[in-house]
Amino acid sequence: MKQLKTRNFCIIAHIDHGKSTLADRLIQLTGAMKSDKIIEQMMDSMELERERGITIKAKAIRLSYQAKDGITYELNLIDTPGHVDFAYEVSRTLAACEGAILVIDATQGIQAQTISNVYFAMDHNLEIIPVINKIDLPSSETEKVLEEIESVLGYKSEEVLQISAKTGQGVPELLESIINKIPPPKGDVNRPLRALIFDSHYDSYMGVVAYISVYDGSIRKGDKLLLMGQGTELEVVSIGYFDPKFCPADELLAGDIGYIATGLKSVGECRVGDTITSLENGAKEPLIGYKTAKPVVFTGIYTTQPEDHGQLREAIEKLSLNDASFSYEPENSPVLGNGYRCGFLGLLHMDIVQERLEREFDLSLIVTVPGVKLIVTRTDGSQSMVVNPSDLPEPTELLKIEEPWVKISVITPSTFIGPIMELVTQSEGIYKHTEYIGHSHSPDALGQRVRLEYEIPLRSMLTTFYDQLKSRSKGYASLDHEVIGYRETKLIKLDILVNGVMVDAFSRVVPPDKAHEIGKSMVEKLKEVIPTQLFKVPLQASIGSRIIARADISARRKDVLAKCYGGDITRKRKLLEKQKEGKKKMRNIGKVEVPKDAFMSVLKMER
Amino acid sequence: MSDIKAIYIHVPFCRRRCKYCSFISYQSRESDIPAYIDAVKNEFSLRSGNSIINTVYFGGGTPSLLAAPQISSLTSAMKDNFNLANDCEITMEANPGTIDLNYLSEVKAAGINRLSIGIQSFNDEELSMLGRIHTAKDALNAIKDAREAAFDNLNIDLIYGLPGQSVDNWKDSLVKAVEVNPDHMSLYPLTLEPEEPLFKEIESRVLPEISADTAAIQYELAEQLLEKHGYIHYEISNWAKPGKECLHNLVYWQGGEYLGIGVAAHSYIVNRRSANTADLSQYIESSSHNSLPPQEVDETITPETEIAESIILGLRLCNGIDTKDFKKRFNIDIMKRYGRQIEELINFGLIENDENGIRLSPRGRLLGNEVFWRFLPDKL
Repeated sequence: MKQLKTRNFCIIAHIDHGKSTLADRLIQLTGAMKSDKIIEQMMDSMELERERGITIKAKAIRLSYQAKDGITYELNLIDTPGHVDFAYEVSRTLAACEGAILVIDATQGIQAQTISNVYFAMDHNLEIIPVINKIDLPSSETEKVLEEIESVLGYKSEEVLQISAKTGQGVPELLESIINKIPPPKGDVNRPLRALIFDSHYDSYMGVVAYISVYDGSIRKGDKLLLMGQGTELEVVSIGYFDPKFCPADELLAGDIGYIATGLKSVGECRVGDTITSLENGAKEPLIGYKTAKPVVFTGIYTTQPEDHGQLREAIEKLSLNDASFSYEPENSPVLGNGYRCGFLGLLHMDIVQERLEREFDLSLIVTVPGVKLIVTRTDGSQSMVVNPSDLPEPTELLKIEEPWVKISVITPSTFIGPIMELVTQSEGIYKHTEYIGHSHSPDALGQRVRLEYEIPLRSMLTTFYDQLKSRSKGYASLDHEVIGYRETKLIKLDILVNGVMVDAFSRVVPPDKAHEIGKSMVEKLKEVIPTQLFKVPLQASIGSRIIARADISARRKDVLAKCYGGDITRKRKLLEKQKEGKKKMRNIGKVEVPKDAFMSVLKMER
Repeated sequence: MSDIKAIYIHVPFCRRRCKYCSFISYQSRESDIPAYIDAVKNEFSLRSGNSIINTVYFGGGTPSLLAAPQISSLTSAMKDNFNLANDCEITMEANPGTIDLNYLSEVKAAGINRLSIGIQSFNDEELSMLGRIHTAKDALNAIKDAREAAFDNLNIDLIYGLPGQSVDNWKDSLVKAVEVNPDHMSLYPLTLEPEEPLFKEIESRVLPEISADTAAIQYELAEQLLEKHGYIHYEISNWAKPGKECLHNLVYWQGGEYLGIGVAAHSYIVNRRSANTADLSQYIESSSHNSLPPQEVDETITPETEIAESIILGLRLCNGIDTKDFKKRFNIDIMKRYGRQIEELINFGLIENDENGIRLSPRGRLLGNEVFWRFLPDKL
């Protein structure tokens, strides 16, 4: 029976621990493709993903492997996103598999996000194969990492494989281990169809393509299906698997991983995590609880040139066809005009969406200070969600503000506990727990590694928290976070005035006792990033009508091409054309030309 | 129909490259000068024409590296191929470290009637920082010799905004300049490109950074001082005694046509701007086949661009743009077509207007780029 010869698995790894290299090596060793056809790290297909070294969209590849027992197995490798912003996508990917390869870098050891992913895999009863990668590197510390794995995750040394995805060392043994340890899919082809959507993307020819793991039953082209969580009905336009290109097939059976093209117009109608069944005589229960990943970080997006707003609307609509996890609502700023308040899964997700909008749609964007979703209770008892600081009620009408908190987990050599503790305290966080990792008999110069737990307002993580954590730990600390709920807080709105004009895009909510300090550094930072203008420009920070900080940009005195003779005219005109083009990257606010980067730069302030 | 009134001849040789220069010039290639002269003469004959030439300009590089008979052979070859006006202004640039009374008398006899001496500074420390081959004393001698050789149309170049140059240092050079009483002065702020040695010395902090604010004060000082001594400020960087404006450069600023001869020389003829190869060997080589040098630039100036350029160049002149002249040339009412820009710039205090036309304000002369770019056409 085919199902018994199938293994569905994914790779869990921290960024740069070698997931993509290992995937390439598995592809090469199983002969799914000729090795000369392998494009380096081919599972990362989006240009942006490769540049950032992360994987945003999960994909799946079917491999054919002849094991030592002489049987040819079908292996389905599902790729997972490597960043905490996409934790929900990771969780659905894990739910689509029976096993996971846990890759840990021999030079870096266990990282914070690795642990949460492993716990998640354990929750789903996945068989985990722990692997130490990069053992070929001179700086590898295999023994130490083995100790960490045993102390934190409970795997004995002999259970852990030692490999080098780069050289291929140990990978054949890993393949055997996949066959022997990971169980075949358990579903039943004769029961009503149940398939889990673990990823989807929009294709202009085929409509939404859903990546699915078929648990029970089977699917054929032309089948009429139902998404149990969303209630969407669809017909299968085409069906197949990946090798790693789309490879059409007649059917997908229980235990198979593949795709169906749905003809749907937006991934919003076909969301990750939903269970597919037959429209008639379908299954009664979904595979796992379906929910939508909820945006937690919000920001305003505008075009630098107001007349480009129509293009932005079109771009956002198109992009949302392909990314169901970001939200957008039209908003109007007195200064920036028409734009959108967008919600994201995290800062990285926000960066990615912004870059895709700018790159794929050739837009020049202003992204305002990101913030969280606040729950605001007014004195009249009414409650509302506030994602734009401008919507915060007047203090006299305000009874209570609640904001989201996160639990963070940091893994770091113990030397850096002090500076990290200090950072968390400055960020209004609370210490919860310390746990030492590995054995104390082999501490190195930086001290034994330790896992620290804190709780902090999510708001505090939206500025320089991560950069600071990295710099205070000389790059050693890793971070994981999850939202744990809302807590009451005291916050006020801090405004920035440029040349006397209040610029709502700079407004943010801050704790009252920090308003002064933050206001001061914001105007100082803006003074650096806004170029000199034709007149003196005052920059002010205010709370209500009270000015709490000020910095002035002095007027520009000289900007002229001094020489212009026969040989210069074309060249000088081109310089002026460049100057003119540069103005398009500026937003005119109160007659002041503000570079688009200024809006984000106020967040990247040193403390 | 072309209507060339001006000819530029480029002399791409220098004894030593100055540390701030971005012009095309070769050092240690002086042995190529004879071949180059022949190639230039050949280009004269290939581009010969009938229109009346009012101005000729030998620029460089260092034209005064050519021997007087070589200059003479060039001026006579030019007369063979072009129709030079009787009162044609013929300028030659000269480096004070390369000339003496005898030489100047000879080039005067060869037809040069305007001399432009690259003084740059009357301060020896500044001269050595710039990598000049002469001293302040050489400069004073050169001016004295020029007058003795009967040059009655004399320009000197000076540079301000130098690294570490105080307003007082600049004033000293200016005062010395007006004492020797040239007919014309070109004052340039130091402008550096990344590949120039001086740029690198500032990058690596061997020299202090250039202060734009100081340069602005130095410029305003020059405006006051030169006005007091009878100089008319007629272009952003140029001052002249009445009637001594440089006719050749006025051709550029007034949008006239010009023919460039020699390595890297630019021409503007019937809405086409082109430039000869900047490669000396290639230039000489093509001449040996009796063919025109390869073109490095060959740009058609569209009507939109021509209008923009004529405003940008016209505003460089202190008299600015005459509304009636503009209307006559382009059949466009500049105040209407550019009403929005002009109003904005008047509000910024960068241009002034009256019934005759528009011109840069004193502040606008320091912030010209903020004015100029606003007149460029939107890209298609």
